[in-house]
Amino acid sequence: MSELRVEGLAKRFGGLRVFQDISFSLEPGGLLGVIGPNGAGKTTLVNVISGRQPPSAGKVFLNGRDISGQPTHAISRLGLSRSFQQTNTFKSVSVRENILRAIRFGQRGMPTGLEDLMDEFHLTERLDEQSDKLPYGLQKMLGLVMAYATSPSVLLLDEPAAGLERVERNHVDTFVAHARSAGKCSVLIIEHDMDLIRRLCPRILVLDAGVLLADGSPAEVLARPDVIAAYLGDSEEAH
Amino acid sequence: MARLPLAPRQRLLAWDEATAIAVAVVCFIIPLLTKSVLVYSVLNHALIGVIAAQSVWIMLRMNLLTFATPAFMALGGYTVAIAGRYEITDAFLMTAAAFLVPALVAVPLGALVLRLRGTYFVLVTFVLSQIMQLLLFQTPDLTGGSNGIAGIPAVTLFGTEMISHRQVLLFACGIALIATLIAVALTRYFRQHFAAIEENEILSESLGLVVWRYKALGFVVAAGLAGLAGYSLVNMLLTAHPSSFDSAIAVDFIAYTIIGGRESILGPIIGSVALVYATHAFGTQGQYAQGLYGVLILVVILVARGGIVGTARLLWRRMRGPRA
Amino acid sequence: MEQFLQAAVIGISLGAQYALLALGFTLIFGILGVVNFAHGGFYMIGGYVAYSCVGLLGLPYPLAVLIAVAATAALGWVFELFLLERLIDDHLATLMLTLGLYLIVSNGLLRVFGPLSMEFSFPVSGSIQFGPIYVPRENLIVLGICLSAILALWLVLFRTDLGRALRALADDRQVAMAQGMRPKLLFPAAFALATGLAGLTGALVTPILALSPGVGDPVLATSFLTVILGGLGSLGGAALAAFIVGIVEAYSSVYFGGSIGALVLFTLVLLLLVFRPTGLLGREIRGA
Repeated sequence: MSELRVEGLAKRFGGLRVFQDISFSLEPGGLLGVIGPNGAGKTTLVNVISGRQPPSAGKVFLNGRDISGQPTHAISRLGLSRSFQQTNTFKSVSVRENILRAIRFGQRGMPTGLEDLMDEFHLTERLDEQSDKLPYGLQKMLGLVMAYATSPSVLLLDEPAAGLERVERNHVDTFVAHARSAGKCSVLIIEHDMDLIRRLCPRILVLDAGVLLADGSPAEVLARPDVIAAYLGDSEEAH
Repeated sequence: MARLPLAPRQRLLAWDEATAIAVAVVCFIIPLLTKSVLVYSVLNHALIGVIAAQSVWIMLRMNLLTFATPAFMALGGYTVAIAGRYEITDAFLMTAAAFLVPALVAVPLGALVLRLRGTYFVLVTFVLSQIMQLLLFQTPDLTGGSNGIAGIPAVTLFGTEMISHRQVLLFACGIALIATLIAVALTRYFRQHFAAIEENEILSESLGLVVWRYKALGFVVAAGLAGLAGYSLVNMLLTAHPSSFDSAIAVDFIAYTIIGGRESILGPIIGSVALVYATHAFGTQGQYAQGLYGVLILVVILVARGGIVGTARLLWRRMRGPRA
Repeated sequence: MEQFLQAAVIGISLGAQYALLALGFTLIFGILGVVNFAHGGFYMIGGYVAYSCVGLLGLPYPLAVLIAVAATAALGWVFELFLLERLIDDHLATLMLTLGLYLIVSNGLLRVFGPLSMEFSFPVSGSIQFGPIYVPRENLIVLGICLSAILALWLVLFRTDLGRALRALADDRQVAMAQGMRPKLLFPAAFALATGLAGLTGALVTPILALSPGVGDPVLATSFLTVILGGLGSLGGAALAAFIVGIVEAYSSVYFGGSIGALVLFTLVLLLLVFRPTGLLGREIRGA
């Protein structure tokens, strides 16, 4: 049985179609990358799966249970947690308070190996600093740690490497590896950084203009002419 | 686990909450010390303002600005006035009723209006207090319509009629103390939840916090507190009149809270006392006070976001800063 | 039948006044995202400026109306540029600023002119008879000017570069800015346009209704009612809703008396806000 299964998912705003007929599944402990040019509907996909916005059609199953259209907090408590593309923390309080809130609101107790993760990102020595005083890269890591602190079984990461320095991007690799080994999480990762995607993901989906263009291993998918065409002219993806 | 203590120092009360309760307790002494009409009038109005402003403040803890306070005040006040017709005047019973009736009305109402956020919530609460005002005029059999209900009997406490000025004021002190205790208890017990919702509702929800539950709780308690303020007001005037609950008075309570400072419960308390005093000092009918509120609101929003309490706290920290 | 037609005339002329107020209000919300609690204040300033020009300076009424429009537009411009602009993205803060301004304006007018109603009457009187019904000339003139102003606003918004820029900002500020629109210039202009309309309404209507420091409150309430009914930010919706509100008010006061019409409207608006915040015409709204 798959951990996360998406069937014929579609989202429209009024007459504007964001994406349609998206189907895929994510195995327990699996890792799936989603790429696509800007405006392909990737962030909206995360919003719809995590319950931020209701789907226009289609279903989302978590551990075989239909969660489509449920509110965010309910989905989060069922074990699906997400991170945000921009830094997103409780700005005015300390790193400690941020992590405590994640643990408390998630209501599933202390996740395995949380301290190791915090040590890894040097958050442990900054526990009492106000979270918005951290450097940008660390704020994003704090966001990931908080998503992990709710002890999820599925993690949706929305461009975790966006805005990070090249050297900081390894943190994302560390985080994903840790979440899968210590936390037994399945991970869906949306990313523009192709090196990162190639390094991490055994399988990727390509989303273009709201439709699923390709599904397969990075080497195979990224060589396809239609995928290359989708990326042509979108110079932002070139890095 | 040892490196991330799950429970940081849990205090029973923060300094400002303890101070708030102490202030409410000290108020009981004032009517025993003086018989000055001016002091009585200012204190009684301030005590009513304190309760209503705390109601506004609780909603602001969730980043919701409410104009519905007069509507819930009317529910509490008219509950007491109508009970008075049937000679029901027991202080404990009526205090409970003045809290519970608006709180119960707030349950279904909250389910409706708490779907909205930001400016939309402001608009819907403004509309609510307009509706309440119109309802008072449309139900003359129940509420006396535009005449209101006059000649409400005085409260009885342990069989004693609280009829003298001093007794009325002491009773107002009692209501204010109860309201302060309720407000402190709610916001202390759920302070992290409220703080999280105030600062970042989307993140809170995404971490699994059931945001609507706390908003509903806050809305219901805020409605109950407003009801207590309405009770205290009706008891001071011995009249329930639509003009006492005009939607425009919502602005006063918002002004007390914002100017006093929204980040601490001392804010609505200090704001109410200071502004009610200023109103009396500015003119017998207080008609010139509105302009002062306007100027102070601009000052607070533009240069002193923390209001009186926040600015005092900032100055205190700055003074101590070089030494620390 | 006569009563029915008479009420229709009253309703339409009320509707035209409300439309002017609501268009300004909804323009500010649509473009700046600001809920303008000071709208009734600008209406009052318009009335008092016109009154002062006629009563104290002895100027002709049409000139007084123009001066009132210029004064309220200028005040709106300055307020937006120097105060609102600093916090333009914080909707609760801008709301509080306009609330503060309203308190200052209404209290200032109270101090200068006192609490009593002004002796300020429309320079034209008498009625014109259309079959069985009589229409006061003053109402007809005000209706004419209101409709012309609505037409002029429509031309500005839909036929000029300024209007195109303003509408682009209302649709999507990010995109509009990326295309080179300059909010720093356009926001004060939009605010001034809207407050000028409120001032115009005040100058025209207060001689017919009343002019005292309290008249701003019901203006604000009616503006709220109208723009929510029409869908916040929607110009066509506001205009349509204004006439609905005017006509409902006229008929309910003729046939039911009291405030039952207002109660029905406010309840309708409450339900609309909760279940369909896009209003009657269903335009997509910003920031929801």
